[in-house]
Amino acid sequence: MISIQNLRKQYGSFTAVDGVDLEVTSGEIHGFLGPNGAGKTTSIKMIAGLLKPTSGRIFVNGHDLAAKPEAAKASLGFIPDRPYIYEKLTAGEFLRFHAGLYGMNGNGLNGRVREMLDLFELGRWEHELVESFSHGMKQRLVMCAAFLHRPRAVLVDEPMVGLDPRGAKLIKSVFRRMSEHGVAILMSTHTLEVAGEMCDRISIILKGKIIARGTVDELRAMGGTRDEELTAVFLKLTGGTGLQELDEIV
Amino acid sequence: MQPFTYLLLPGYWSSRNRIARTERADVARASLFGGVGVLVFVALFWGAFWITTQLDAYEELGDFLLRIGLSWLFLTFLSFLAFSGIVTALSTFFLSEDLRLLLATPVAVRRVFYARFTKTVLQSSWMVVIFLLPVLLGVGIARCAPCMFYVTALLTVAPFCVIPVAAGTGTTLLLVNVFPARRARDILMLMGLVFAGSIVLLLRFIQPERLLRVESLPDVTGFFATLQSPITPLLPSFWAGETLFASLAGGRDLLHAAALWTTACAFTVMLSAASERWYFAGFSKSQEARKARFNQLRILDMLAAFLPVSVVRRNLLIKDLKVFLRDVTQWSQLLLLLALVVMYLYNFQVLDLDRIPYMAGFIKNFYAFLNLGLAGFVMSTVAVRFVFPAVSSEGAAFWIIRTAPITYRDFLWSKFWSGVVPLLLMSLTLTVVANELLAVAPFLKAVTAVGITFMTFALVGLATGMGARYPRFSSDNATQVAGSPGGVAFMIAAVSYVISMVVLLGWPSSVFLWRLSRLHVRPFRPDEVALIAVCFATAIALSTAVFLYGMRSGVKALEEMG
Repeated sequence: MISIQNLRKQYGSFTAVDGVDLEVTSGEIHGFLGPNGAGKTTSIKMIAGLLKPTSGRIFVNGHDLAAKPEAAKASLGFIPDRPYIYEKLTAGEFLRFHAGLYGMNGNGLNGRVREMLDLFELGRWEHELVESFSHGMKQRLVMCAAFLHRPRAVLVDEPMVGLDPRGAKLIKSVFRRMSEHGVAILMSTHTLEVAGEMCDRISIILKGKIIARGTVDELRAMGGTRDEELTAVFLKLTGGTGLQELDEIV
Repeated sequence: MQPFTYLLLPGYWSSRNRIARTERADVARASLFGGVGVLVFVALFWGAFWITTQLDAYEELGDFLLRIGLSWLFLTFLSFLAFSGIVTALSTFFLSEDLRLLLATPVAVRRVFYARFTKTVLQSSWMVVIFLLPVLLGVGIARCAPCMFYVTALLTVAPFCVIPVAAGTGTTLLLVNVFPARRARDILMLMGLVFAGSIVLLLRFIQPERLLRVESLPDVTGFFATLQSPITPLLPSFWAGETLFASLAGGRDLLHAAALWTTACAFTVMLSAASERWYFAGFSKSQEARKARFNQLRILDMLAAFLPVSVVRRNLLIKDLKVFLRDVTQWSQLLLLLALVVMYLYNFQVLDLDRIPYMAGFIKNFYAFLNLGLAGFVMSTVAVRFVFPAVSSEGAAFWIIRTAPITYRDFLWSKFWSGVVPLLLMSLTLTVVANELLAVAPFLKAVTAVGITFMTFALVGLATGMGARYPRFSSDNATQVAGSPGGVAFMIAAVSYVISMVVLLGWPSSVFLWRLSRLHVRPFRPDEVALIAVCFATAIALSTAVFLYGMRSGVKALEEMG
């Protein structure tokens, strides 16, 4: 569903993403992990069509993003890390506008909008201005927009930031339900518990390169640890913990 | 597929929601601005009406001048629209937050372009249209123009606005593909201010006052040749002027009208094609991080190390200076200020006092005090723009100061010192150099130099303190902070203080100089000496009180912030 081939992004002499290959199949939740500045958000932005790759190809639902950007984007839902929503629109207006961008109109649109608002527990806020929403509510509204047009693939950048435990639980169950319906989800996150709990496969990116890929068990094996916690595996794979120096520094 | 105008809907819906949820304060603000707008509209209408009726008295010459006037009017707007188009396009096409939402959706770049270009044209030209409306109405009514004139005016102004904005947008597209968008914005801002500063200096250095001297008046032919020289038939401003002038008398100038429309359409089509090719590359580039400038300014740290201040104040000072130097919107305005200072001093240099020799001494001394007052006003304006927003400029990062183990007194004093040093330098330059150019009495030189030093300390202290009492941490820029109610309150207090100081220093100085002049050799009476001393002492006391009140109330306000 999402296919990335030899993706590269260069900023002057600095290589942010260096030859990334990735396949996210239908119904799969794929975790995209890595330390800060590893190239996660740059990769996600390129797949979303917000950043031009230096080289490499991106396919969404079989459409080449460079050759047929509209067709590729029509199959994609995007949930950015810092959601931008028109502050002076109501939640309902924002979703209807967003639906129009995907060519949705006419009968059934109002029902679909209400359905999504209810799913993300924003039903009673439909006619309120977005400026009065908390960060978590804005995040849920952006998720409504991302799933509104029934995308075949969804890109999520840090989904749990700013969400309360109830919101986080809701999002997890929505993502699971969507993947059961065949939606491919590529999720970048720092929350290793979430990745461990939700993802079918995980790719770990470091300095722009994928250094490990597999299921949680496969990653544990690669890390050579039997530790139950994914954190230990992640730290081992991404270059040590620095814990040994902590005592000296503190 | 929705038409491109669909992408303009959020703006329309937002305005509708804003109006529907209007609060009383919004109504008051809108009424105030609306009232001022109506006054300006009426003034422009009457100005245009009066000039046109006056020109009517000169028949052919009047027609000729009106025709040139219209071309000049449009020529002025042409450059304004082009520059405004460049700056607005940067924001609408590359820096606007909602682009990250729009460009992730399956909307064709062509549709995004048309929607954004419409927005750019509207945002860049609304001011020009609002200005032109009363002016053309005034001209039309004064000339009893037929209804077709007003229709032609609408049909002329529309393509006239599109052409320069399209050219500006094209320039932006080119710039952003060469430089990152934020860097391009800085470069443009700098260019704009250098341009404005140069115009100010140029206009002053050509000494327009010479035109008032009969002996320097040019001959009439030369005068008209000068007027006509920048008007070329190749510019849209000429086409717009000609089209409107023809319709004033009930005629039609289809050639120039067609030139306007075809050029506007051609520019839009060419720009659309260019944006399809280069827009996404430019947008992608606009998201790249910018590198810090002045990051090699180690000399700043080295110099600060020699300052006899505490580590806390030194670090706050270094931070403020670096932030200031890296923000083009801040320091670039100093260029304009520098141009104004040069012009200010130049005015004193070209003063022709010898034309009235018997009054020269009196006028020189009068100018010395006028200079003191003017320097005070200039300082108040600079203080409200650069010193008053100092506390607010901490913005969302103010928590760092609040949670750090430093006192608010230390914090505010660091703001005071970073403001007072450059302002003292500027105010002393203004007064000392101007007094040297005027060659005023040594006594006055001393009084004004000491006076301006006290005034600088008082005004900077007041600005720092009031800035802390009325902070606006959520403001985007310093200009907004300066224009806030707190900023206005500071200006009122500062102007009152400057006037008081000029009176307190001016009266005793004039008595002193009068008594010392050769015509009045009698010595001072004790009561005169006492009165002079009281005035000077009051000036010192007032300055000290203003300074102390400002700083103490500022520290207190910060401490009470909770």
